[in-house]
Amino acid sequence: MILQQIVNGLSIGSVYAMIAVGYSLVYSVLNFSNFAHGEILMIGSFMGFFLLSVLKVPFPITLALSMVGAGVVAMAIERFGYRPLRLRKAPTLYFMIAAMGFSVFLQNLAIIVFTPNFRTYPQLFTLEPILLGQVAMGRLDLLIFFISLLSLSILSLFIYKTKIGTAIRATAYNYRVASLMGINPDIVIGIVFFLAGGTAGLGGMLFGMKYTTCPWMGALTIKAFIAAVVGGLGSLPGAVLGSFILGMVETFASGYVSSSFRDLFSYAIMIIIIIFLPSGLLGKNTSEKA
Amino acid sequence: MSIYIQGIVYLFSINLISVMGLSLLTGFTGSFCFGQAGFMAVGAYTSGMLTKLVGWPLWLGIICGALAGALISIPIGLPTLKLKGDYFAIATLGFAEAVRLILENLQQYTGGARGIPGIETMDSPVPVLIIALVIYVLIRFYVASTHGRSCIAIREDEMAANCIGINSPRMKTISFFVNGLLAGLAGALLAHYVGFIQPSMFGMAKSTELIIMVIFGGMHSVTGALLSTVMLTSLPELLRAASIWRLVAYGLLVVIIMVVRPEGLLGSWELSIASLKQIWNNLFNRKPSVKEGN
Amino acid sequence: MVYYDGKGDQLEYINVLKRLIYEDKVVGVIGQNTSGNQIAMAPIAEEGKEPIISTFATNPKVTVPEAGKLMRYTFRVCFIDPYSGEVTAKFVSQDLGAKTAAVLFDISSDYSTGVKDYFVKSFEALGGKIVAMEALKAGDVDFRPQLTKIKEANPDVIIMPLMFKEVALSANQARELGIKTTLVGGDGWPSLQLLEIAGPAVEGSYYLDHADVADPDLAEFRTAYEKEYNRPIEITAIMGHDAVTLMKAAIEKAGKAEPEAIRDALENIKDVKVLSGTINMDPATHNPMNKAAVIIKIENGKFVFFKKFQPAQ
Repeated sequence: MILQQIVNGLSIGSVYAMIAVGYSLVYSVLNFSNFAHGEILMIGSFMGFFLLSVLKVPFPITLALSMVGAGVVAMAIERFGYRPLRLRKAPTLYFMIAAMGFSVFLQNLAIIVFTPNFRTYPQLFTLEPILLGQVAMGRLDLLIFFISLLSLSILSLFIYKTKIGTAIRATAYNYRVASLMGINPDIVIGIVFFLAGGTAGLGGMLFGMKYTTCPWMGALTIKAFIAAVVGGLGSLPGAVLGSFILGMVETFASGYVSSSFRDLFSYAIMIIIIIFLPSGLLGKNTSEKA
Repeated sequence: MSIYIQGIVYLFSINLISVMGLSLLTGFTGSFCFGQAGFMAVGAYTSGMLTKLVGWPLWLGIICGALAGALISIPIGLPTLKLKGDYFAIATLGFAEAVRLILENLQQYTGGARGIPGIETMDSPVPVLIIALVIYVLIRFYVASTHGRSCIAIREDEMAANCIGINSPRMKTISFFVNGLLAGLAGALLAHYVGFIQPSMFGMAKSTELIIMVIFGGMHSVTGALLSTVMLTSLPELLRAASIWRLVAYGLLVVIIMVVRPEGLLGSWELSIASLKQIWNNLFNRKPSVKEGN
Repeated sequence: MVYYDGKGDQLEYINVLKRLIYEDKVVGVIGQNTSGNQIAMAPIAEEGKEPIISTFATNPKVTVPEAGKLMRYTFRVCFIDPYSGEVTAKFVSQDLGAKTAAVLFDISSDYSTGVKDYFVKSFEALGGKIVAMEALKAGDVDFRPQLTKIKEANPDVIIMPLMFKEVALSANQARELGIKTTLVGGDGWPSLQLLEIAGPAVEGSYYLDHADVADPDLAEFRTAYEKEYNRPIEITAIMGHDAVTLMKAAIEKAGKAEPEAIRDALENIKDVKVLSGTINMDPATHNPMNKAAVIIKIENGKFVFFKKFQPAQ
């Protein structure tokens, strides 16, 4: 049974990873937590749902379109909400409140436009699991796992091997000096949000496929935050690592301790890391945390 | 006062007490607390259980509720107040969720998800209203005092405040403690108004609602927080027809306020004798007297 | 007829009820489905002396908050959780021959924990053994850890007193884990979305309900409803209609449209024929006496009537 629980944990972790990565990306450049990230994943999820089940668009195109759509929404939020604050050098508190505002706005707009009913994606596979001995793996889970890993690899290739990626990393390292070097921070930040939104949209779609889509699914972003913190805010590999750790912790807590106290363990592990290892497992060293 | 109106007065007073605490902590000290509902739950359940299960008198239960909220802020504040803004926000959120989880799981004592029905209710909202207004005045005084100024300094730039000798951990802890006290009080009063408590009453929606009240009125103005509480408590009743759009509007307004006028509705304006005099003078275009400067 | 939407928030319901009583001055109120909200509203109804009939709230505390105390103005048209738990226990042990059972319930729901408690009590009294009891929280979506443990315990049946969304998710995940056990549920199940999302997974499962939606006796009502609202009928419509029928019968019995008179009429009302059976009000508990429960089976992707349980006298 332990093996089964490990598989369960990895499968939840792969979905968290998609969302945590976007979160960490934004944090690394702007140094604040985008609470509206959850709503972007929700929008991506709904887009995917409508494209796939109403308009019957083929699956790969739906994936691409949802990612782009979510990315665009993220860019819009940045352009109209965060950029004015950034230009005014507003304190982080204002960013957080604006993020909360977007979150409330989008969530409730979604409730009106999409109705509070939850939606499910059409089932692409049968429910017959693939069995490796005693361990059952859902087919959809395997697909999601691979899509996650694939997109994370592509993202990291982009960030570490391309010129724009270097520009992003430079801006994350030191905003001011990067702009002195001729990098246009507005464009870079716009791209960062597009990427973050894209991964969030993908994560949202995968989540919707595995479970359900509803206007409140943005609450998932808190898990993403915890995962990113555990792995080290600002570090992309850290976000992925943190997500898998969180997935495991949650699964084992549910399975062996108490399923109703599961979230307590998630929060507890975050508090422990923050207190004893503030930069997380792989994070960049920022002294402002404590 | 019809019973219907009485209900609104109750709700407004209870919200105001909670908002006053939040105004001090988030508005004036700059610590974004996302877990207000958690403190209220602590106060509500303490008072509810003491009055219903142990049989203590109403006023004693309420006082204990307030104290419980204050006391729990100490172990929670210790590790979290050192944290940066967003970590603190999530940590407080985690606290509120943890409180809810614990309440739901301890079925034997807290009734679990079903909650505790049949709690003693109060007879009239007037004492609650008076308490709320007194608290408003007290917070006004606190903010205008040296302590209050220190908090504002911490909000603006914590490192600089430390440099001029302000003990920021201590000030933040005091603000957190006061917030816990007021939130606990509000929670206890809520329990004795509704007569029934359930963990689902103290979720993220409530915390968000209260933060919005602080932001609308202006993080720099206690009067602003009071006025926005009036508005946001009575508006849902008046605007029953457009109610689904209400929250959409709130969210959008919060963003607009942050971008355009972060000080909120009233900026730093406070209701006081001096400010009323100024309005009077402006209205009637009196020439400034010699005493008021050149 | 005035109506308001309480939006699932207790404070809203309290405000709304007060408004109905004091501002709109209605003579009777049709309550709603959730026990939590109904419990919050009961004292307001008492104070305002306004009779209120709940459609679907099954928690016993709605009318009898504690032993010896009765909410004089609150009534209901449905049966209560202890009965649900009892019938489910009887059904699985007698009809399905189950000796062991696992329960997956929602700890954040008063309804779910209530039914779970009563089921466990009844099942053990009948000689059954509970081999696993796992909790989930509504809003969560992944129940694989809990289901893995249930699979380990190898029960004869899995009882799931959950709302259809959690049923759908957990049923799908259970099948994905290779669990082939029969699933049994309660009145939170019936919904077309359940079949939409988890059709193959819940095939062959059973659940308990207040009435059979496909009952031929109800055909007339069903056609009229579907014509008017352009969507398939669900159990809540039936219970809502029953509550209104009961209110109407009470007004007729009382002879006048006055809250106090209606309340008195409701207390002892007998033989009111409603869609879900016959209402004989028990004056001591304000619950309808001897209401039958129906077991529905999900067969070939449809809800099919399986058995009716009449409470033994």
